[in-house]
Formats: sequence, C-alpha cells, structure tokens
Amino acid sequence: MSSDVTLGSTVRSEWIKFRTVRSTIMGVAITFVLTIGLGALITLAVRAHWHSMDPTRQLIFDPVSASLSGILFAQFAVGVIGTLFITSEYSSGSIRTTLAAIPNRLELVWGKLIVLVASIFVVAEIACFITFLMGQAIFSGVVPTASLGNSAVLRTVILAGVYLTLLSVLGFSLGLILRQSAACISVFTSLLLILPIIVFLLPQSWQNTMSKYEPSELGHAMTSVTTPGNDFGTWTALLILTIYVVAVWGVGTTMLIRRDA
Amino acid sequence: MIKIEHLTKRYDDTLAVDDLDFEVRPGVVTGFLGPNGSGKSTTMRIILGLDHPTKGRATIEGKRYAELRDPLHEVGALLDAKAIHPGRSARNHLRALAASNRIPFSRVDEVLEFSGIGSVADKKVGDYSLGMSQRLGIAGALLGDPGVLLFDEPVNGLDPEGIRWIREFFRSLANEGRTVFVSSHLMSEMAVSADQIIVIGRGKFITQGSVDALTASAKGSVFVRGANHQQLLAALKAHQGVVSELNDDGLSVSDLSSDQIGQIAFDAGVALYELTPQRASLEEVYMDLTADAVEYGSTGARNE
Repeated sequence: MSSDVTLGSTVRSEWIKFRTVRSTIMGVAITFVLTIGLGALITLAVRAHWHSMDPTRQLIFDPVSASLSGILFAQFAVGVIGTLFITSEYSSGSIRTTLAAIPNRLELVWGKLIVLVASIFVVAEIACFITFLMGQAIFSGVVPTASLGNSAVLRTVILAGVYLTLLSVLGFSLGLILRQSAACISVFTSLLLILPIIVFLLPQSWQNTMSKYEPSELGHAMTSVTTPGNDFGTWTALLILTIYVVAVWGVGTTMLIRRDA
Repeated sequence: MIKIEHLTKRYDDTLAVDDLDFEVRPGVVTGFLGPNGSGKSTTMRIILGLDHPTKGRATIEGKRYAELRDPLHEVGALLDAKAIHPGRSARNHLRALAASNRIPFSRVDEVLEFSGIGSVADKKVGDYSLGMSQRLGIAGALLGDPGVLLFDEPVNGLDPEGIRWIREFFRSLANEGRTVFVSSHLMSEMAVSADQIIVIGRGKFITQGSVDALTASAKGSVFVRGANHQQLLAALKAHQGVVSELNDDGLSVSDLSSDQIGQIAFDAGVALYELTPQRASLEEVYMDLTADAVEYGSTGARNE
C-alpha cells in the first residue's frame, strides 16, 4: 500500500492552514496597502515637486524604483507572514499535531515552503505590477516614465516581487531556527534596518566593501534598472540574496529535523 | 499494540524517562499512571516521534512512528487539547489535518458530530472552553479511524457529563479491539476507566497489572480498639505485628490478620471493643507506590 502522506497532501494541508488564519489575510492586505499605497504617495509627491527638483537629480531619476519604493515597507509585512507561518505552530503548540500527521519533517518543510513561496510570489508580483503601472500613470505627462516593453524595466518589476518572496522565506527560515515570533521579527528587522546603520559607523573603506552585501542593499540592486553606486549587478545581487536565504533555510530545516518538537 | 523497549530520555541534566519497558495491548483500556513530572507526556511524545529517545525505542505494531505510512490511519493522539492555533475554526483545523493524510472532508463532519461540537465547528478554537477543546482533540484523534489511540490527561477540564462520556467512549474503543492508552495522574480516574494500569514514577517503571490485581496486592491493616492500648501494643510487638498508628482511639496494625490479633489480645487478657480489617484503597496503593517518586511533593505528606 502506498503512503497517504505525500508532498502533494502536505501542500494541500498547509495551504488550508495558511489561508485560514487572520494573520495571513491581514499580512497580504498590508502588503498590498504598503506596496501600492506608499507607491502612490511617493509618485504623487515626486510629480508635485518635479519642476522644483535639482536638474542633476532629475537626470539620474529612476521612475521604476521610485514607483516600487513601497516594497521597502512591504518587505516587513511579508517577513512577518513567513515567520508566523511556522512560529504560530510553536506558540500554539500545534506543531505536535502537525508532526503527528506528517512525521517526515523534511516533507513538512518543503510543503510549507511551496505554499509560502507560491502565495507570496503571486501576491507580491500583483502588488508590484499594479504599483508600477499606477506610478507610471501618475508620472505620465510630467515626469519621465518607464515601459514594461523595455526588458530591463520588466526584469526590475519582476525582481521586486522575487525580492519580497525571498524575504518571506527568510522570515520563515528564521522561524524554523528561533521558534518565537518576537525573536524572529527582531532579528529580521535588525538584518534589514540595523545592519546598515552598524556598517555606516565603520570606516569608509570597510563600508564600501561591506554595504553591498547587506540584504537591503542587495534588494536595492535587484529593484533598480541601473546598478546603483558600488552595488553588485542585478543578477549577482539576486544570487547572493538567494544564497543567504537558502543557507538560513538549510540551518532551520536541519534544526527542525534534529531537535525535539 | 504499543511496545516500549528500554526507553530512556535525558534532557540536559534531567532523566525524564529511565529505561522504561512495557507493552500496551489491544482490546483493553490501559491507564498510564504517575505523578506530575513522572515522564508520562515525554513517553507519549516519543511514541509519536515528536521527541527523539536518548536510548531504546517505542514502536507501534512493530514500527517506529516515523516509519508509519499513514500515521493518522494507524495512530490517533490527543496530547494537549489547547495546542491548536486559536484563530482557526475547529472545522478548518480538522480539514487541514484530514488533507495531510488524504482523509475525505465528510469524515471531518462525522467526527465533529460524534464529539458533540458540530454546532460550534465554525467558531474560532481560541473561544473554546477547555472541555470543548478536549472534544475537538478527540475528534482529531478519531479522524483516521486508527487502531491505536493515545490520550494524555484527557479528563482535564471536562464536566461530569463529559467525563462519563469519555469513559464509555474509551471502553467502546477497546471493545472494538483497538489499543487505548490513557495517561492520568489521578488513580481514582484510572480505577474506573482503565482495565490495565502501568505505574511510573520519576521516569522509572514501578508496576503493571489489572486494577483488581493492584488493589489485591495492597497491604491491608486492621484497626483495633481495646481496654488497654499500651498492653496491647506490647503484646502485638511480641508477635511481630507492625503498629503503624497509635492514638487514644486505637491502633492500626499491619502484618497480622484480625484473627491473629483477636487471639493475641485474648491471650494478653485485653478486652477488645473493635477489630476492623481495613483494605487499602487503590488511591492509597498508588500513593504508596509513588511516594518516593513524587517530583514536587509537599514535604509534610511524605512518609519516609
């Protein structure tokens, strides 16, 4: 007799769990509001002040990343969604029920990961495309605009959604390691916000070599049409961020398998 | 059938489970008894593959939990009734569980009705009373119609009607030939709901047997009241009687039968006013057995 518990049934089970708690629904709503709402506010502000803007700044103005700037806030929302997807199992104790139903822990992690990545990718791409198109519509006639017909522009908008998806997996992976929501969200926020401040306090030469490795700076490189400052190129940035996330995920998965539930 | 073989679990400095070795057979309700902190829950977590044993193993029908192909069809468990995401409804909780083992959703409705929470199935679990959560936990354990069932302190939080319901329910599961393993720290509860009892203390195996056999093994005592207690005491001691209690009311004597005591008193010329054999209750047997194994006993109550 073949097993009833497969990756497919695990995905189905985790999908039910993912969509039946309010934290997910709220998280997705907040992701939309932050990405699109803040995108609208920022693009409106740029349009209103465009004519008083310094001409040199006008010259390097990137209408794509300006319209996508809401993801700076949305990255925390998706991080929290990813974190809570696993830490809520520990805070409630339901991880034991889950593991009794799905004893293969690697399969459980894959199941959760597939549900998380698929859901957040769809949500994030929709949010990014809407905010991009809305931003260009707001800029239209006053500020130079970008078109999805340009492959570099299309790539940037898609990668903005990929960036958010990777950060949700980072939140999830921290959850596997730390098991506590508050601890995970602190670490997650520190990595994105505090790490750049610490690097900023270091000598200039260290800053130049180190800052481009910060997760937030890698995100900046991924979501800009032209490579900013001394950052890595788009694809290198994507590769490095992916390596970070996979490494943390690997540690988290190993800990889930080895530790008592 | 559940088989525990030389099971040992060490957490840092504490030995939670110490070389346990026993079997839980199908067709009867087996009580798993021990004071709080004696290792019952740890043993159950190891059976379910949640905690890894330091040594030894626990198997279900010969297989470790991780080797079960259809876990919910083979084992149903209720560990902690409150261990469910509080924001999810009972129905969605059970549906997620059912989906993981390819159990049809119609079965979810069945177990909800059976457990008596069908009418509140769409309410958030966080709003449930402990009794309702216990019923939901039982519904979850029954989902896959398993042959082996584990319940950790299932009576906690149930009202008298719920307690009666759960006792009859355990009995019917056992009568269907299933293996039913129920933990409790209350001997009085196990005395009425279990057939077989396994007693542990401080992680160690203490004894195993039927409820009747355990009661029979209890050392009885005889209460004696007579004309001169001091004289009686001296006479009983001369005959190897153990007087465990002496006060103005009378004496409690063990290791001698009431016939022997009556004869000794007669020979000593002490008039007896009362001679009552006293059978230890199952509760007392249990207290005796686990007296040395109580993790956080109140020192006054310890008879050492």
